[in-house]
Amino acid sequence: MKRKGLCFYLRIYRKILAQDLKSKMSYRADFIISTLGMIFTNISGFVGFWILFRNFPSINGWSYYEMLFLYGFSLVSITPVQCMFDNNWSLRQQVYSGDFIKYCFRPINLFFYYQSEVFDIKGLGQLAFGIGTIAYSWCHIDIAFTPLALLKLIVFIITASLIMIALQNAAAASCFWIQNSFYVLDLAFRFKDYAKYPITIFSSVFRFIFTFIVPIAFIAYYPSLVILRPDEVPILSWLSPIIGVAFFFVSYKIWMHGAMKYNGTGS
Amino acid sequence: MRMRKYLALTRAGIIESLQFRLSFVVMVIGNLLYLIVVYFLWKAIYASAGTDVVSGMTFSDTLIYLVLATALYNFMEMYAVWEIGRNIQTGKIVLDLLKPMEYRKLLFWSYSGTFVMQFLFTFLPTFIVVAIVTHGAIPMGINLLFFGLSVIIAVSINYSIDYIVGTICLYTESIWGINIMKQVIVLLLSGATVPIAFFPEPLKTIVHYLPFQSIYNAPLSLLLDADPQPQKVLTTLGIQLFWCVSMMILSKAFWKASLRQITVNGG
Repeated sequence: MKRKGLCFYLRIYRKILAQDLKSKMSYRADFIISTLGMIFTNISGFVGFWILFRNFPSINGWSYYEMLFLYGFSLVSITPVQCMFDNNWSLRQQVYSGDFIKYCFRPINLFFYYQSEVFDIKGLGQLAFGIGTIAYSWCHIDIAFTPLALLKLIVFIITASLIMIALQNAAAASCFWIQNSFYVLDLAFRFKDYAKYPITIFSSVFRFIFTFIVPIAFIAYYPSLVILRPDEVPILSWLSPIIGVAFFFVSYKIWMHGAMKYNGTGS
Repeated sequence: MRMRKYLALTRAGIIESLQFRLSFVVMVIGNLLYLIVVYFLWKAIYASAGTDVVSGMTFSDTLIYLVLATALYNFMEMYAVWEIGRNIQTGKIVLDLLKPMEYRKLLFWSYSGTFVMQFLFTFLPTFIVVAIVTHGAIPMGINLLFFGLSVIIAVSINYSIDYIVGTICLYTESIWGINIMKQVIVLLLSGATVPIAFFPEPLKTIVHYLPFQSIYNAPLSLLLDADPQPQKVLTTLGIQLFWCVSMMILSKAFWKASLRQITVNGG
């Protein structure tokens, strides 16, 4: 089989995406309510922050606007996993029922084909909210807005998003080995809620765990330091793009390994 | 005996949840992780505040409040909205409606087995851990009795709210969006994310007139009150009871009026 190029995959992705959006549009009420639900979630997160900082002016040397920046950063960096990898949530059922076998017979990359099948549009509301939060907080922090800073922000957000994708891939792939993997996936998904806090609040043991074992500190904290504390960027922050790519690669291998040993159910 | 048919459902629920032992392990891990994050976050918050008491809450109070609110949430979350929504989508609801039991009761008692398990394996351990970690900041006396009573009423209020939201699914056929909206509103306005004591003034007053604070705030403030005044206890329980009865009537009436709406596609 000839290796297909990037252009080929982009074209396919566009076609599958169009089909998926068409089918989503036939449930318009569901789409609107889900989007509203997403906006509600983000607003309530914001209100929680606001209430907290009315009582406490700063947390661990982090001001309100800096924390808000971190929050916005984490929202944007978990958008790709929400939008483009949502099909991971149904992997468990597909594997269980045997429907997964149909993906194994397509002449394109299995992982790519499976993930491209579903695109979750409601994540875009979160993206907009996250970008708004970043912009709002940036206006209030004493950091110059330069094209270079913007470029850094974009690069670091994209690589940071790979961490959450990697965690979710690995958690979803656990269903190739264990039956009820919903709880594993749910646990991994809840990590995103912890990403918005600065890692410095933890004791050294948990700082180590959240940096190297469950790398949630790379979802928002380390990469955003590049913007927030430009004078004293730790080495781990500069390394975060590499770590993002590495974790993604490992999770991809785990996912494919599980998929390759899949035998179907015989039906 | 009339209770017998209900208790049979409880028993079946216990047996069913024993089937998923792994999910309990993962849930306990998830809970533990949450405890760690909350502990360090609020420790940092109180360390930055400089004073021991903020808005009438000490660090131990806040920790107990938030951790037990989450434990109560895990314990009370019945996924009733999902259950109703899914039953409507698959058409299974027709069979349930034919059963010689009110649908409302059937759903509640089918889930009650999981209640028992959740109480024993997540709520009780969390309670003990928190009591140890905070060095006996939880007063052990008559307040435990009030707390227990209050939780029972809270379960009922929570179920009624779930039932109302589930009934909305009859009209919208959207589960995820409806459920997330409910979850977010309940968690924020009941004080489960940030204790109500920290809310700014106008919001605090508004929240006190809503039913949500009766779910988490009422039992938890009864628990943390070492020296309960009869008048205060009675008002809290009275307000809870009021919401319990009115939400129950509302949810029953809404369901009855909506039942005509059901359209089942095949089945």
